[in-house]
Amino acid sequence: MTPGRNPSEERLLAYAAGVLSPPEAVVVAAHLALRPANDAWVRRLQGVGGAFLETTPPAAMSADALGRAMARIGTDAGDAPAQPPLNEMASELPEPLRRYALGPWRWVGPGMRIRDVHAPRDGNCRVILLKIDPGRPTPRHTHEGPELTLVLSGAYATETERFEVGDLEEADSTVLHQPRTVSDIPCLCVASLAGQIQLGGWLGRVMQPFVRL
Amino acid sequence: MTQGMDDTDALTHGRLIEAVALDRDRDAFARLFVYFAPRLKAWLIRSGAAPGAAEDFAQDAMLTVWRKADLFDAEKAAAATWIFTIARNRRLDLLRRDSREFPTPEIALTGEEIRRPDDILATVQDAQRVRNALAQLEAPQIEVLRLAFFLESPHSEIARTLDLPLGTVKSRIRNAMIKLRFILEPPQEGPR
Repeated sequence: MTPGRNPSEERLLAYAAGVLSPPEAVVVAAHLALRPANDAWVRRLQGVGGAFLETTPPAAMSADALGRAMARIGTDAGDAPAQPPLNEMASELPEPLRRYALGPWRWVGPGMRIRDVHAPRDGNCRVILLKIDPGRPTPRHTHEGPELTLVLSGAYATETERFEVGDLEEADSTVLHQPRTVSDIPCLCVASLAGQIQLGGWLGRVMQPFVRL
Repeated sequence: MTQGMDDTDALTHGRLIEAVALDRDRDAFARLFVYFAPRLKAWLIRSGAAPGAAEDFAQDAMLTVWRKADLFDAEKAAAATWIFTIARNRRLDLLRRDSREFPTPEIALTGEEIRRPDDILATVQDAQRVRNALAQLEAPQIEVLRLAFFLESPHSEIARTLDLPLGTVKSRIRNAMIKLRFILEPPQEGPR
C-alpha cells in the first residue's frame, strides 16, 4: 500500500477502466501526478484492461471493414485540436490541471475562496479550486453527493484526520465536515463536487442564501 | 500459444504503432486493424452494443489510433494497453453529450525520457506479469473484474448483469484487487 491518504482501490480501478465521472477523473489524474506509486499501479490496472482486450475472442468484421478503414485514413485530415494555453496558476498546479480555463476567485467566507475549473462536468458534478487561509475553519457542511478533495499545497485537518500535499479525501453526504487549515501557508485544494454543499451551523445559515458554492 | 510468442506479439504491435507514428505506415496500420478491430468489436458486443454499432465503434477507435499514434510511448505502456485506453476514452466521449466541448483528458502515456530497448522489453514483460497474475485469480473474480472494465458500469450494473447482490459484487472486486496487488506488488519489495 502507498503511504498517505489514497483513493480506494475501487476508485483507482474505476479510473483505470474509464468509468469514473469526468470531474472525478480530473481530480484523480491530479492525484496520480503527485503520487507516482499510485500512478504506476493505475498503469498496471490499465494493463489488465489491455490483457482483457487481447483475450477477448475476436468478433467477425464485415467483409469490407479493412477497406473502409484504409479509405478513411487515406482522406483523414486529423482532429488535432490546438492545445489550450497554460492557465495563470500553472506553476502552482500539477500537470493535469494546467490547461483548464479558470473562473474568477469568489469569496465564500472568511479566509475562504473558490474558483471554477472549466473541466468536463457530469450532470451537476464539477471541479473547483479551493483556497483556505491558515488557521481558518470552513463552515460546517455536508454534501448532497460524493466529494473528492486533493491537497495541492498546505495541509488541512478534519476532526479526525490530517491531509497533506497529494492526499486525497473521499467524503460523501454522510460526513459532516469542518476541515481547518493547519499549515502556515494557505491550503490549496482541487475538489470534485456532486450537488450543492449544504452549510450547517449559524454561519452557514447566514451565508447560504448569498453564496453559491 | 507460449508466453514467448505473446511477448513477440506485444513487441510487434508496439513497433507497428511506432511505424504509424513516425512514417504514417499504412501497412502497419492495416496489421493493427486486423488484430485489434475484431477485439474492439467483441468488447462492445459484450457490453451490450448491437453488432453494427460495435463495428462502427471499432472503426472509430482505430481511426483514433491512427490519429494519436504519436502519443504512444512503448516505454510507458504495452500496445494493447494503449489501444485499450484510447478506445475507452473514445467510448466515454461518445457516451457523453458534452464530449465535443470537453473530450476526455488523455491519460498521460507520453514522456520526455530517452527510450531504450530494454525499457520497452520491460514494459512488455510487465504486461506479461499482469496476464500471469490474472491467471492466478479465481474465475468469479476475473468475471467481476472483466465486467468492471468492459461495462460502462457502476457496481450496481455488474450486480444486475450477474444477478448477484451488490455487496457480493463489491467484496469480490475488492478481493480481486487485493490479490492482484499482492501478486504484482509483493510486500517484500520493501517500503514504497
